[in-house]
Amino acid sequence: MELTLAHGIVKAAALLGAGLCMGMGALGPGVGEGFVAGKACEGIARSPENASLITRTMLVGQAVSESTGIYSLVIALLLIFSS
Amino acid sequence: MTKKKSPMMKIFIIFFVVEIALVLISGNFTKELEIGFDNGKFVFRQIESEFNLQEKITEEFQIDEYNAQHEEVKDLYGSEKLFSVFKTLSMGETPVGTFQLLRMLLIVDIVLLFMALFIRKFLAGRPSKSQLIFEMIYTMLEDFVRETLGKDKIYYTPYIVTLFIFIWICNMIGMIPIPGFMEPTRNLNVPLGLGLMAVVVVHFSAVKFKGAWKHIQEYMPHKNPLFILDIVGEVSKIVSISFRLFGNILGGAIIILVVSSLVSFVVFPVGLNLFFGVFVGTIQAFVFTMLALTYIGVEISE
Repeated sequence: MELTLAHGIVKAAALLGAGLCMGMGALGPGVGEGFVAGKACEGIARSPENASLITRTMLVGQAVSESTGIYSLVIALLLIFSS
Repeated sequence: MTKKKSPMMKIFIIFFVVEIALVLISGNFTKELEIGFDNGKFVFRQIESEFNLQEKITEEFQIDEYNAQHEEVKDLYGSEKLFSVFKTLSMGETPVGTFQLLRMLLIVDIVLLFMALFIRKFLAGRPSKSQLIFEMIYTMLEDFVRETLGKDKIYYTPYIVTLFIFIWICNMIGMIPIPGFMEPTRNLNVPLGLGLMAVVVVHFSAVKFKGAWKHIQEYMPHKNPLFILDIVGEVSKIVSISFRLFGNILGGAIIILVVSSLVSFVVFPVGLNLFFGVFVGTIQAFVFTMLALTYIGVEISE
């Protein structure tokens, strides 16, 4: 009985931690990607002939700044499936 | 007035029919749903009312644990003898997941080989459509290599193009709705191997262009112990480049599975497959390639 209770507490804490991890980890990449997209819009408005180059650089930069969010996703998945 | 169907419409209809047939064959349909006549009424209902999402995810993503829980491994191997041989080979474990991964990697390799042979056979001065597409990809990546590394180091292009096409096909192949098909990049071992290979190429080219002693010297210019941080940075390069690809593909696959389970695997989530399969897959393949190229460029630039 005690064992199952402990397991339940651990599981609940892991799920809570996964939710917190994902929610907080998604804040930074969201702000960062939005910032990058806004700057890219400004750049395209200033020089429309460089639009393809700016779009390419923007996508690569966004994917790189997304990586912290991806790390938090991996940690959340670990917490959910291996606790 | 005869109205001809456009080729896009034809392709869409063929895909639709094939998809329905695959869903019917794959067994999800017959297991989860009952269609037919019962007591004079048309019945369209779920038979298994208790559907466990956790168990489904375990079956899909951690096949070894699932088999250890359910003890269904012997059927997969075909015969008792083969099963015992593999069990002794792998020290008591039954690596079904490894076999699935290797099978998918083999399929990707076969696709790559056939693509290469096919394009090579039909090379022409007046190019066909498929040749044009591949020439476009090659020229684009060659331009990137020329911009990043310089004109005299253009021979890095085959490695970069191979990396891109391999990861791209790996990300695309999971969308084929055949049971057992998955993205090889969903398993951490594949991106980790690719990242390790990229970092090895980086250091090899650095040693080649600058010399081994100069390359080591760059890590400790003032003879203080801070060079440990640089070594940690090298390890974090591998981790960041491979976990980015792995996390994106795995997260997309889990989201597609969860949304499909909400509709009992009847509807194929086309929009989600378009976003997580095509868009994210292409972007991540491109980003992996670009980062590998950038690492090489940073190391060998003066």
